[in-house]
Amino acid sequence: MHSFGQRANAIATFSLTILAVICSLASFTDNFSAPSPKAEVKVSNFNWLQKQRNGNDEASLTLNISADLQSLFTWNTKQVFVFLAAEYETPKNALNQISLWDKIISSKDLAKFSIRISNKYRFIDQGSNLRGRDYNLTLHWHVMPKTGKMFADKMSMTGFRLPEEYR
Amino acid sequence: MDWQGQKLAEKLMQIFLVAFAIVAFVVGYALGSFQAMLLIYAGGVLLTALVTVPNWPAFNRHQLIWLDPSEVDRHPRPQAAASQSLKKKTTKQK
Repeated sequence: MHSFGQRANAIATFSLTILAVICSLASFTDNFSAPSPKAEVKVSNFNWLQKQRNGNDEASLTLNISADLQSLFTWNTKQVFVFLAAEYETPKNALNQISLWDKIISSKDLAKFSIRISNKYRFIDQGSNLRGRDYNLTLHWHVMPKTGKMFADKMSMTGFRLPEEYR
Repeated sequence: MDWQGQKLAEKLMQIFLVAFAIVAFVVGYALGSFQAMLLIYAGGVLLTALVTVPNWPAFNRHQLIWLDPSEVDRHPRPQAAASQSLKKKTTKQK
């Protein structure tokens, strides 16, 4: 502490140490929040199911997505990434996941929404397994905090079935 | 900055930073605003730097008083021979 530089150095190191501590504490407070997100996805219209020239099946749907993810936001939340995946089982693979739609929610105000949209990303199977296939639509969300650990959760909506024939 | 001033500056720095951190965290949590926490703490760090980093006169109130150089001539360093004779005297006394 005998010189200007020494004191400047001391305050820089000590203040950054404390900054790390309060950021950890902020992250720790997230443990006290108990989020209760709600979501509902419906297929409002089935558009078509086709076989591509290379042999892969492709489907097109119009989706009704309504969700209330406001409870995921705490004072330490930067943003929430949410995506909707079609999940189904084929003889070759126990789990196939195809992302149909996604969104970055940057604030709590935008976390409650209801939209009607055709699938943003193409619903293509690697093969011709889609005819008559049962699938579920799963809404996944990844919460990105300002400091601390990311965490993810999901909500599954079951009972969807693709048509038996191409149309 | 003198010795007492250095001690005071270090103590002030630690107390200020910890106090601002506590206030910043509590206010930020109460308002639900991470930004408020960071701004209050940043303000606190700046204020602390302003108080403790420059060499303010308040840190120089206990200057060491050195002896005048003329004292050296008045009190010459004792000679090695003299000290030896002293030792001998003390042993004899025993």
